[in-house]
Amino acid sequence: MIDFAASSEVTLLQQTARALAHDRLAPAERRREAERSVDPALRALFEEVGLARLELPEALGGAALGALARALVLEELGAGDPGAALALDPLGPAAYVLEELGGHEALCTYGAPLLAKPGARAVLIHDRRPQLRDRGGSVRGRFPWVPSDRVDLLVVLEMERGYVVREGIELEPLRGAGLRAAGASELRLENAPIAESWVSTPATRRAHARARLYVASLLVGVLRRACEYSRDYALEREAFGRPIAHHQALAFLIADMATAVDGCRLLVHDAAWRLDQGDAALEPCAAAFVECSEQALFVTPNALQLLGGHGFMQDHPVEKFMRDARSLSLLLGGVDAAREESGRDLGELRGPVALGLGETSWT
Amino acid sequence: MDLTPDEPTRERVGRARSLGREWVRPLGLEADRMGRPTPPDHPFFAQLVELGLGGTRWTGGPEAGERGPGNARATLCVAEELSYWDRGVAVSFPGPGLGEPPILSLGSDEQRERFLAPFRKRDRPRWGAFAMTEPGAGSDVAGIRTSARREGDDWILDGDKSFAANASRADWIVVWATVDASRGREGHRAFVVERGAPGLGDFKVERKMGLKAYESTSFSLRQCRVPGANLLGGREPAALRAGFEGAMKSFNATRPTIAAMAVGMGRAALDESLAFARTEGLLGDVRVRDRLERIRRRLRVARLLCWRAAWLADHRQPNVLEASMSKALAPGVTFEAAALGMELLGAVGGRGDHLIEKLFRDAKAMDIVEGTGQIQRLLMARKLVGLPRDPS
Repeated sequence: MIDFAASSEVTLLQQTARALAHDRLAPAERRREAERSVDPALRALFEEVGLARLELPEALGGAALGALARALVLEELGAGDPGAALALDPLGPAAYVLEELGGHEALCTYGAPLLAKPGARAVLIHDRRPQLRDRGGSVRGRFPWVPSDRVDLLVVLEMERGYVVREGIELEPLRGAGLRAAGASELRLENAPIAESWVSTPATRRAHARARLYVASLLVGVLRRACEYSRDYALEREAFGRPIAHHQALAFLIADMATAVDGCRLLVHDAAWRLDQGDAALEPCAAAFVECSEQALFVTPNALQLLGGHGFMQDHPVEKFMRDARSLSLLLGGVDAAREESGRDLGELRGPVALGLGETSWT
Repeated sequence: MDLTPDEPTRERVGRARSLGREWVRPLGLEADRMGRPTPPDHPFFAQLVELGLGGTRWTGGPEAGERGPGNARATLCVAEELSYWDRGVAVSFPGPGLGEPPILSLGSDEQRERFLAPFRKRDRPRWGAFAMTEPGAGSDVAGIRTSARREGDDWILDGDKSFAANASRADWIVVWATVDASRGREGHRAFVVERGAPGLGDFKVERKMGLKAYESTSFSLRQCRVPGANLLGGREPAALRAGFEGAMKSFNATRPTIAAMAVGMGRAALDESLAFARTEGLLGDVRVRDRLERIRRRLRVARLLCWRAAWLADHRQPNVLEASMSKALAPGVTFEAAALGMELLGAVGGRGDHLIEKLFRDAKAMDIVEGTGQIQRLLMARKLVGLPRDPS
């Protein structure tokens, strides 16, 4: 029966992530943004509490905990510092491509070495147009932005295939619009050899879905923090003789922001739950990405607005929430690509629309 | 975590679907066409009673039987499905309706037996009704003016009530009145006014923009004499009512149910829009697909908000915020779905004879009944930022 509670094991992990995000990620977010890196002690802690491998198979030292656990943890990390969350996760969503297209073997061949190398980063891009040209086994071209200052493994997702590149990757540092704790670079590939390539449209779409859910989960965290931070401010700041939160115009806005955050979270949990049921959840994952991206444009600018002029200044982190959220939505092909996937089946549907898993079969 | 209803609930939804397809949708369209509610002697209602519907949660048992096991989640799933076929018809279903919760919470065993037990007989369709709203008092219930005055063992009620569902066909109406208008909610008392009570009359079935299948009825109480035995929560009205209101407020299952009805209506609008777009070859247009995509996504958000609020209610966990979130969000999504459907229909929508056009009219009510969207935001703001009741 309908039940929103996660298992106690997963809840415990979520609490660990929350504590880490609250105590370690959020407080140093500005310093990390300036330094474009996370400190090694934090990285060691992240590894120690088991957050780096929670979804990976046990053979790779992982906990094989599933998509919901991952979503819950990522929300917490996103609420702490989404840039740091990316920087701390050596494989990140790239692991999904390795797993879905290359299977366990690819995960061991390409993923495992990074887990042993402190600070290593696998970077996943969706090369939709494509901008990287395959010239018989090696690629050349530029990709305008990845949120990283190092790329130990480049995983490229096209519409029908995925491939990995380990050498010949040049990085041109950029200022970066957001997520600066993870770094920011332009990718330049000059005849970089493709280490391995897999062609499979279904597997590509499955990997893409899971990767989108990863980003959506981080967005939920950013939105939640933006909502809570601005609400707390609105309770302290007084104007016209009362806390600004007690002016109905702002009180209603805060209520709508909180509703938006909860809606995003529920959509993410629904998609993650479906994945854990063995469903590919292509549309629900894409829908979660789109919803979080749309609501980010409602929640984060309004969070800034609640702080007025202070929101625009960098003494408060709300301007960062707005930049980070927008940057997250640009990943993996961005919002329009996700919208395309989310609405794809509507063109082929013959019967009623199902909102829930397996719903059309209820009789 | 489990985000699908269990097998018994799915079966109930399946039965609602069959009933919906065969009866509910056609009756809703007929009522809309004819501009009047489905008459109470319509054979459909008798058939519902035969199917075992239209009963009461009151089991008659002395202790735990005080109320049947609550299953807000299942109720909500069925409500969503029935509203998919026609929300107006769903509200016209026989049963004690909104009058049941106050009788269960405030009434004595004797009163529960008197007013609710007949619903277990299943001899004929019976309705109960609930009347709080007045011409001059809607969201601000403290402002009701209907007065209650003691006369011997009886009470004399005077006033006007508005928009009470199923009131003219009801066996009884739970009427809220005040013993002292200057005391606001403190002065409120609930009375079960039975059909035929002297002074109960002037029933006027209102003409509405949509949802025509059920009656929204205004009536008056003129020196209406009600026996003392019909006052709910007789001896300790204040304490009992506080308990009732506390329960209604803390574990609210009504608001998410209304929100779920909106989700059902939104699904209907989406399905009809898709069917039309498919027939007209519009689905190749990315602009069209994108907007339909948004509707499905937002309906899923709305449903999950409803489910979560009901899940909390079933576990006796406070859910004021969550219930209001669902009720604040769902009607807007439904309206958007119906409005988009009209746009896709184009000039066909202007004819006034398409189901989507009906849904466009029906949908608006969902942001008004059971607490307007603004009231939901007030309730949320009280929880989120401690918004004072009187911000002066």
